[in-house]
Amino acid sequence: MTARRGSREDGKPPRRDRMVALFLLGLLLFNPPLLRLFGVEGEIFGVPVLYAYILGVWAAMIALAALAAERR
Amino acid sequence: MAWTPMPWLTVLLVSLAYLSALFAIAHWADRRAAAGHSVIASPTVYALSLGVYCTTWTFYGSVGRAASQGIGFLPIYLGPTLTMLLAPLLMRKILRIAKTQRITSIADFIASRYGRSPLLGWLVALTAVAGVTPYIALQLKAVAVSFDALTGSFSGDDSPFLDTGFAVAAAMALFAMVFGTRQIDAAEHHPGMVAAVAFESLVKLVAFLAVGGFVVWGLHGGLEGLFADTAARPDIQALFAAEPALGDGAWATSMLLAAAAILCLPRQFQVMVIENVEERHLNRALWLFPLYMLLINLFVLPVAVSGLLRFGGDTDPDLFVIALPLSSGMDALALLAFLGGLSAAAGMIVVESVALSTMVCNDLVMPALLRLRPPALERSADLSRLLLAIRRAAIVVILLLGYVYFRVAGSAYALVSIGLISFAAVAQFAPALIGGLYWQGATRRGALAGLVGGALVWTHTLLLPSFARSGWLPASFIESGPWGIASLRPYALFGLEGFDPLTHALFWSALVNIGLYIALSLTDRPDSAQQAQAVAFVAVFEQSEPLEPPADWQGVASVGDLARVVARFLGPQRAEAAFAGADPAAPAGPERLRVAERLLAGAIGGASARVALASAVPGGAVGTAELLRMLDETSHVIAHSRQLEEKTAALERATDALRAANERLTELDRLKDEFLSTVTHELRTPLTAIRALTEILHDDPGLDPAQRHEFLGVVIAESERLTRLINQLLDMAKIEAGAVEWSIAAIDPAAALEQAAASTAGLFQERGITLETALDGALDGPLPPVLGDHDRLVQVAVNLLSNAAKFAPPGSRVTLSARIAGDSLRVAVSDGGPGIAPEHHAAVFDRFRQVGDPMTDKPAGTGLGLAICKRIVEHLGGRIGVVSASGAGATFWFTIPLADSAPRSRTAP
Repeated sequence: MTARRGSREDGKPPRRDRMVALFLLGLLLFNPPLLRLFGVEGEIFGVPVLYAYILGVWAAMIALAALAAERR
Repeated sequence: MAWTPMPWLTVLLVSLAYLSALFAIAHWADRRAAAGHSVIASPTVYALSLGVYCTTWTFYGSVGRAASQGIGFLPIYLGPTLTMLLAPLLMRKILRIAKTQRITSIADFIASRYGRSPLLGWLVALTAVAGVTPYIALQLKAVAVSFDALTGSFSGDDSPFLDTGFAVAAAMALFAMVFGTRQIDAAEHHPGMVAAVAFESLVKLVAFLAVGGFVVWGLHGGLEGLFADTAARPDIQALFAAEPALGDGAWATSMLLAAAAILCLPRQFQVMVIENVEERHLNRALWLFPLYMLLINLFVLPVAVSGLLRFGGDTDPDLFVIALPLSSGMDALALLAFLGGLSAAAGMIVVESVALSTMVCNDLVMPALLRLRPPALERSADLSRLLLAIRRAAIVVILLLGYVYFRVAGSAYALVSIGLISFAAVAQFAPALIGGLYWQGATRRGALAGLVGGALVWTHTLLLPSFARSGWLPASFIESGPWGIASLRPYALFGLEGFDPLTHALFWSALVNIGLYIALSLTDRPDSAQQAQAVAFVAVFEQSEPLEPPADWQGVASVGDLARVVARFLGPQRAEAAFAGADPAAPAGPERLRVAERLLAGAIGGASARVALASAVPGGAVGTAELLRMLDETSHVIAHSRQLEEKTAALERATDALRAANERLTELDRLKDEFLSTVTHELRTPLTAIRALTEILHDDPGLDPAQRHEFLGVVIAESERLTRLINQLLDMAKIEAGAVEWSIAAIDPAAALEQAAASTAGLFQERGITLETALDGALDGPLPPVLGDHDRLVQVAVNLLSNAAKFAPPGSRVTLSARIAGDSLRVAVSDGGPGIAPEHHAAVFDRFRQVGDPMTDKPAGTGLGLAICKRIVEHLGGRIGVVSASGAGATFWFTIPLADSAPRSRTAP
């Protein structure tokens, strides 16, 4: 009964569900097999590909979390 | 050394000035809070205070890790980022529970969840102290080493208690004692401490970003320049690949450990849970804190790469943050970097020592004191000073321990690797902590066994080997196992090889911890007190205020007893406020007992609060047991009240269903009454006529024979009508009750319709109406067989035909026809009568509905004929209707399914 509390108020998926989805996405994107794919030579904006990938995904996740958390 | 050191006096003075500023900020924040304008009532300050997670291990150590493992430093921050995303699910629940239960530390939290178990609290506190004290030593070492790097002195020459590490430990102990043990109530906030920690978080972030910016743009002219410089260094290039970090499985392990640490580290629990002012602050922290971690790690790799380029292997990579600006002549920047590192150490040491001292006081010392009941304690009326003294002493002891560990272990492996080893120790709390939030069946025995098992495995697979690698244990301990038992080798337990030591330890400790936790919980039967606490934790969001206790509850302790206990631990003012206006001699009752328990729990933890309360009863063992039983039962009453609420909700739903059913029954009852009154009316009309005529015949013997004959004719006709009405009523009742026996088979419709036409031929002849039949299917040949009951089909046709005979004017013609329409046979009876207005088309098939003006038109039928037809036709799977307009005749039609196209299911009644 508590699981739907958030959705009852505004009809949108509750913040909690979005966060859990983002959490699962993070687990996926920071997984070693996927990281190995980016462990190649080359640079993005002057930064090695692997670092650019991790920092980029990290920043994107923070931005999405901020959007979901601060939206009223 | 590759750079000119700074004068140590300058560094010392700046450090002192900075520490004084921290004291000033904390003091100011405490004053503001006392004036009602708390600076920590801000989500941003809350998020910044979580930055205490980033210690010197981050500030200096990340660069060191990056210099050897590439991306290997990142999982320590990615793990907490992911955990923070679960804040609305996980932390919100922990916060709510901590507030309702007045939790003072993570040891208190876990102990409270499992029936306020003192043993569990003791165990958690002990594990935390053992696992985290070396971590404090690491901070002291980092400050000392960075101070030496900055000033060019060598701490190795200093005598004990005069070096930088001791100075920092002493200053931090003072800070923690002043701002961390202000109130007796440990569940209250420490605004001064939190504000200072948030400020320190800002300083270390600014310092690192400044150094990073200088390194990238000042030394290398941008990122491209920096990474282009590495082209000739394959050893540095190797760091950009995934291999160094992902090779041995350490990536996932450190991510998991860090994810757990953000909840389980005593200092994180302190700032995130105990110091939280409002639950909604989490919404800001869940993204701002990860952003903080991202920013502070942004320049880690550039600094590491630049340091490797410049110093090669000559300088400890951990010190690049200070060495790079210093060797470039940027003394002020180097000093700022040192202050950043000092901030990282100071924040960690203060919060950790306050958190640990609360645990030590509430879960290690107080339970022992309360059980032993030394006479001095018995006599003392005010223990609040003693409580504060114990906490302050604990802070001093913990920091002293950390300092001694730092002096003794020095640069031993045991200290260097303590970061992740600490994480692995506190991660042992995670199963009991998180499991206890969602699994109501988890029990104290399960948590105890899991924790003990996990901690033992941790000791064997991580702590002891780190001692062995430091040379405190023989090296053979690692290579051939303790006492030469190969299957007990700490890095290859039971022959499990091929993992890095951390992954190996995590696997075994998690297996033992979670396995024992689940297995023992499943086979355990917890008592009512444990169950009540389990409900209070798991269902914290569904709880309402406790029920009013029964009025005749007799307490064993008086209000005065309770007030005395509360006053002893929290001071007389709090006791006065809590029990104002109550008669000291009155029995305490469960309500006041709970108030006292909550107050005491905030000061000395849940487990100790119960023991302290027990001491309120002067009667000794029997009285104590009785009082504890009362407390348990009060909790039990609350658990029961929740179950009662659930049952009430179920009852309400059942009541709603019953009410709906009742409304429907009332409606049906009304319809039945209406039906009965109509039937009675229909029966009375012919009966009245019969009675009136027979009375005339009886009273007047000299009646004219012609008239007598006419009257008798009417009597016979009315009797027949009565008989017909009763027959049809019975018929109707039988159909509606489902008591009619149907013999449904493939029948010849033409035969049935012809039989009906023959049996009504007399009626038509009587009224001079011509009946035409068209039953040969016209061009289609003979009619195909239909599925139905022969007798019932005849009944329907007779009914429609006799209706037509009644309404058609004499001399007109009535047609009975049948044709195939789709997969059924359509039978129609058309007459040239007055017709029926469209608005009455549906109503003519209702019971007792005779269309026309009831005042002038004489009823010609019983009003049941068409209703019966409708039921028969519908039972046979067909439809019935009328096509007509007023004054233009009427065509009654019905359909009946053909035998070879009807679904088989229709054939069975």
